[in-house]
Amino acid sequence: MKAYVFPVCMAGLLVLAGCASDPAPAEQLRLSEQVIAQARAVGAVGEVGELAMAESKLAQARSALADGENRQARLLAEQAELDARVAEAKLLDIKSQEQLDSLNQHIRRLRSQAGGAR
Amino acid sequence: MSALRYAALLGGLLGLAGCTGLQQDKDQALRAAQADFLAIRDDTYVLRSAPREVQRAAETLVHAQRFSGYWGGAEDAIHYAYLSRRYSEIALLQSRVERNQEQIARLERTIDHLQFALRESAPAFDEQRIDLAAEESNRGLLVTLDDVLFADGSFRLNRSANRILLRLARFLQFNPLRRVRVEGYADNRGDADDNLTLSRKRAQAVADMLIDLGVDPEQVERVGYGERFRVADNASGRGRARNRRVEIIFSDEQGAFSIPR
Repeated sequence: MKAYVFPVCMAGLLVLAGCASDPAPAEQLRLSEQVIAQARAVGAVGEVGELAMAESKLAQARSALADGENRQARLLAEQAELDARVAEAKLLDIKSQEQLDSLNQHIRRLRSQAGGAR
Repeated sequence: MSALRYAALLGGLLGLAGCTGLQQDKDQALRAAQADFLAIRDDTYVLRSAPREVQRAAETLVHAQRFSGYWGGAEDAIHYAYLSRRYSEIALLQSRVERNQEQIARLERTIDHLQFALRESAPAFDEQRIDLAAEESNRGLLVTLDDVLFADGSFRLNRSANRILLRLARFLQFNPLRRVRVEGYADNRGDADDNLTLSRKRAQAVADMLIDLGVDPEQVERVGYGERFRVADNASGRGRARNRRVEIIFSDEQGAFSIPR
């Protein structure tokens, strides 16, 4: 009898372990936080929606972690990280475009001024 | 990704939606991720500037496809498809930023050349002195640009200002502690508020030109006085033309100005 009980218990434990085996994604949460801070440091935050998205997912990841739902926390934190990376790339794109526009304007002014100097 | 899709995705991740619904979401997510990846995969610009992101987009797409084949793997498939799309998007954006930066470097070289050409075209002058038609006023050293500088109602700088602005720019570059206050004025035709705006734009046009010629923006203040402080009678066209002017006040050697009028 005992010989049967043991494997059954083990199987039960393994199933439980399967659910609980997701480690707490502390590292991923830290990384996501860092990436969000980095994106925010690039500039005007209101311009891109992805940053708000990242922050909201990070908050949800934290509460999932607090509820012991490690897997859910990890998925949300991973998405938050990439949302923030998209936000950062978009901000850099906007900035470089603005810089281009101002340089082109600068050149137009210099050219028109040079035309008269000759 | 629209807010609706995002909500749908989260719904898929958090709750256990109906199985067929989840299946549909999964197929849709996979198709979208695949399409995004195909769009960047063969773009040499993207590959050059964001090889790591392209690689990640490929890896996560493979994960998504693998999970999609497992029973109960739909949630993970949707998740990895989402990550893959994000990587594709980042790769595309990064390549755009890099191309813009290359363009920026080219434009900056063009500006250097133009500034050089402009300076070369100006007659030689003693660089250490203010070789400008400056006059002493109760507001400090003053240069008036009123040589038919602006057309009626316009803030476009006439080219006749070139010579003096080039000298001014050169002077400021050799005397980095000195500063100038560029004051714009208008004649009294039209609305007073419009004239105030116009006078500000005139000051701005002159300040912009100085900065374009290589003057540190910190050295240039600007202010508009509208139709106030006329120097000639506004009754005649000639008088109005003189009133449409810019006055440039010099700071002392430490960068301090007289009190603004």
